[in-house]
Amino acid sequence: MIDVNNLHKSFGDKQVLCGIDEHIQKGEKVVIIGPSGSGKSTFLRCLNLMETPTDGEVIFEGKNITAASGAELNKIRQKMGMVFQHFNLFPHLTIQKNITLAPVKLGLMTQAEADKRARELLERVGLPEKAGQYPAQLSGGQKQRIAIVRSLAMNPDVMLFDEPTSALDPEMVREVLDFMKQLAREGMTMVVVTHEMGFAKEVGSRVLFMDEGRIVEQNTPEEFFAHPKDARLQEFLSKVL
Amino acid sequence: MGILNWFAEAGAKFSAAFLENDRYIAYLKGFGTTLYVSFFAVLVGVVIGLVLAVVKYMAVRKKSFRPLGWIANIYITIIRGTPVYVQMMIIYYIIFNVRGFPAFLSGIICFGINSSAYVAEIIRAGIEAVDRGQAEAGRSLGLSEMQTMKSIIMPQAVKNILPALGNEFIVLIKETAIIGGIAVLDVTKAAMNVGAKTYDYLTPLLIAAFMYLVVVILLTKLLSMFERRLAKSDRR
Repeated sequence: MIDVNNLHKSFGDKQVLCGIDEHIQKGEKVVIIGPSGSGKSTFLRCLNLMETPTDGEVIFEGKNITAASGAELNKIRQKMGMVFQHFNLFPHLTIQKNITLAPVKLGLMTQAEADKRARELLERVGLPEKAGQYPAQLSGGQKQRIAIVRSLAMNPDVMLFDEPTSALDPEMVREVLDFMKQLAREGMTMVVVTHEMGFAKEVGSRVLFMDEGRIVEQNTPEEFFAHPKDARLQEFLSKVL
Repeated sequence: MGILNWFAEAGAKFSAAFLENDRYIAYLKGFGTTLYVSFFAVLVGVVIGLVLAVVKYMAVRKKSFRPLGWIANIYITIIRGTPVYVQMMIIYYIIFNVRGFPAFLSGIICFGINSSAYVAEIIRAGIEAVDRGQAEAGRSLGLSEMQTMKSIIMPQAVKNILPALGNEFIVLIKETAIIGGIAVLDVTKAAMNVGAKTYDYLTPLLIAAFMYLVVVILLTKLLSMFERRLAKSDRR
């Protein structure tokens, strides 16, 4: 579904990604871990071209998106949901409007259809009473669940999560992870950058370890956590587990 | 001592400056012109300013906008770096030196252009103050740059912009007082004309000043009402 070939990214003189090759299949849940500054967020953000790679290509559903025009890219992004560390809900719009804005503006649904879909999704995430409220009135965990719902409203083929629980108070991490697990069970293709090792073990179909702009090791979660081979990964796991 | 004498005869002076010979009509007409010129100048200023702001914003992010960005910068530098009175003279006596070209129109264009340079910077700063993540969220959903700008960035930027923009409107209204320099009969010019007839300039000028003050106070009230409405989504 996503093929990454020889991906490079540098900011000025600083090389952040040093040649990444990676293939993500439909239905996979790929969890990316690694120390901060290892390039894992940048890698994720290159998948939907939030960051423009310096070199290499990203191919999504057969289309080379690194070579796509602006309009093509917008179309492709409709199919790639993204969830951010800081939620990035639209503070000037109600929760309902946050969810319906994109599908309506992009002509995928009428306002009535989008409203119906928003209600279903809000129902599902247990927040139907928040429809008319503004983001500022919600807790962090609620905001992040709404942000996920906002992406889901576009019916994406893949969801990219960029440290979705890192900005949350500890007691709110669970509600977000539970919702993500639910999505995973339903077969959503997911790429998740996270520090939640429990989530990686439980949900991941594959875990990648990144360090200094490279994927150093990858394996099934069982093998990955039980028998890490790379010395840096061993050291990293000894610190976080 | 002039001021003390004036207080002693305030009633009579006021009557001479405002009521006799239906002079209040001259003030009201002049005041109407002041409001009219200010209103359209604000409109011109906001439209040009908005375009300049978007150009400058895009120039930082997109290569193709860079030459336009330079032009916008040169325009802003020149307009902000020269006195509005000089600009008015140039526009009226040189650029629109056409028989029958209405002076008030020169005034509107002049104050509009002048204001646009300040408005551009106000709007640009307001746009840039919106969190980067907002644009990213919009783009990640598949919205185009323009759709993101219109539906997500601008509505939030307005909140940042409004107080400074209101200030600019207020400055502009008062600045139009120099429009008498190109023979447009605004409220200041009307007051001067009355003064020339009654040999008392202080009273008519105080009356004119009072009129400016009233509009500015009303405008301030209106803007704070508007700001409160926009703050609706901030409430917890």
